Amino acid sequence: MVREVSESCVDSLMTEMVACYCNRFYANKPELAARRIEAIGYQVGQQLSERYTMERPRFGDHLEAIKFICKDFWSEVFKKQIDNLKTNHRGTFVLQDNKFPWLARMSVDPSTDNVSSVEDYSAPTAESKAAQAMSMHLYFPCGIIRGALSNLGIPCAVSADISSLPACSFVVRIKA
Amino acid sequence: MIVCVAVVGHQNNPLYIQSFTEADDALKLHHIVHCSLDVVDERVNNPKKSGPMLNETFLGLLYPIENYKVYGYLTNTKVKFILVTTDIDVKDADVRNEISCCICRCSFKSIPCAG
Repeated sequence: MVREVSESCVDSLMTEMVACYCNRFYANKPELAARRIEAIGYQVGQQLSERYTMERPRFGDHLEAIKFICKDFWSEVFKKQIDNLKTNHRGTFVLQDNKFPWLARMSVDPSTDNVSSVEDYSAPTAESKAAQAMSMHLYFPCGIIRGALSNLGIPCAVSADISSLPACSFVVRIKA
Repeated sequence: MIVCVAVVGHQNNPLYIQSFTEADDALKLHHIVHCSLDVVDERVNNPKKSGPMLNETFLGLLYPIENYKVYGYLTNTKVKFILVTTDIDVKDADVRNEISCCICRCSFKSIPCAG
């Protein structure tokens, strides 16, 4: 019998985990919080990839493994596939998701728009704070991708990039 | 009759090894499993020899030794399942089913992660 959990529970757990690590455990050390969250994601990714590759034939090369992540893995975890995959054929892949489920319900604080022209130099910091808060939520999925790929035998580094909510892209750089 | 089952991680570290004989030859079976790891590596790294079975997870009969036959299965995450059996007239399909059952049972119990 397969045990199930509601999606909203998972969403709440993700939000609370990031809030916990950023505000309580590593209150003034965002880099440590980020590393810890990414490490949790790494372990989850390893175990998920073990589970989801059980009945599949083995992958021939890196591209097949990345395509597995984009299609089957992403649909098992998020019920949708990656919308766009780009590569430079030299070990860098960009996975773009146009509506990332864990960011879909997030809003940016609209008070950042009410800044007078005199204090323009402080506007970037307010915006960059919002961007930083948003990026903390992306360390976990980066860890998941990194864990899944390294369990398939592909060591890599994964970073995320949010230029437009709720779309985000994950950049995977395979270590030669 | 299956005399030994072993699960070996991706760095060739043993994760689970169990022999099913009353005699004291558990060490010999461990040695047989250890030797079979080399055969698995050879099958994987030698695409010319494997031919059409290149990406197949079930590796089939690895090698016969004394009165045992050794079968292997390699997952995507480089976890190896080794099965040592004394059956003379066993078919590949039967062994494949056996290993699939093993894996199903493993994934519903918590065993140490291969990572």
